[in-house]
Amino acid sequence: MNASNESDGGVEGRGGLLLDDVRRMHVMVAGVRGARLVERVLPAPLPRVWQVMGDLEGGFGEFQPDMRSVRILRRDGDRVEALARSRYGLRAHFHGVLRPGWCWLQSRFLVIGMAAVEAGEGTGHTRVALTGGVRVPGHAALVPFGARHELEEAMTRLAARVG
Amino acid sequence: MPPADPVHAAGTADRVDRGVGLVRAARRGDTLALHDLLDHLTPYIARICRPIALDDGPDATQEALVAVFTSLRSLREPEALYGWVRAISVREAVRVAKRAGRARPAELADVPERGDPQLAADIDDVLARLSPAHRAVLVLRDVEGMDEESAAALLGVPTGTAKSRLHRARQSFRKAWSA
Repeated sequence: MNASNESDGGVEGRGGLLLDDVRRMHVMVAGVRGARLVERVLPAPLPRVWQVMGDLEGGFGEFQPDMRSVRILRRDGDRVEALARSRYGLRAHFHGVLRPGWCWLQSRFLVIGMAAVEAGEGTGHTRVALTGGVRVPGHAALVPFGARHELEEAMTRLAARVG
Repeated sequence: MPPADPVHAAGTADRVDRGVGLVRAARRGDTLALHDLLDHLTPYIARICRPIALDDGPDATQEALVAVFTSLRSLREPEALYGWVRAISVREAVRVAKRAGRARPAELADVPERGDPQLAADIDDVLARLSPAHRAVLVLRDVEGMDEESAAALLGVPTGTAKSRLHRARQSFRKAWSA
């Protein structure tokens, strides 16, 4: 299966979807020690949910608890470079990938991962997975303390935002 | 572990180099490299898991990827990536297929007569009638290009068993093709 591409909802190859984006997020969390994953089905359709989550300069900062503002510096296909400022004035220079239903961003100190897929065809609901936190230098690892609480808070804000 | 044939497995030397480079970067803590490794390996792992686990292919692919990512640090030689990934994928696919209760060893008499005129449907039908272990032998030999000895070592069965499984699986296919 040499031909593959990334499209809405996951990695696709000959013969259909190989793995949807929420499943992919579970794999990423398995590869990053200390990473936590918060997953929830939100009662809103995928386009509406992703309109908020994928809008890095807008909706994203409204539900991520620590983000005050984000400015996209560069986009090249699905690659993105962005500058974020936290509530406490700290800056983060992110590099990463932004696709419909999928986002993975990494700065020197932070990681942010988001995925969203339809929660059953025609239900109008969306399954959302969030991960991220503070990086452990030199390792594919995150500081686990407090991460789940932050992610839960982000999910609650997102639910309120799209509900 | 049987000798890896990374170029055969991954398609081209460039792809192998890319995979190995991503593993090295990911092990240094670059999660973006880990992300790209996920994109890179998913089609390869799915290609192994799908014909073994059939309808449970996505579950097997996910579990194989989780196993690979969880133990990436234990991979001593990044150059051995593809052989290592292949072994994990086959193991997870057989496990998931067995768990799903689809272990139905084929008897030659069970091979379907001409039914659906579409060859693809015939192939799917024959595959579904093989046990996961038979399907694994087929995938390793005919898709991955391994010899019986290596396939047997990877599956943890005697070479003779692998040979007989392969023989039976091929007979099943021949019958389906010529029906």
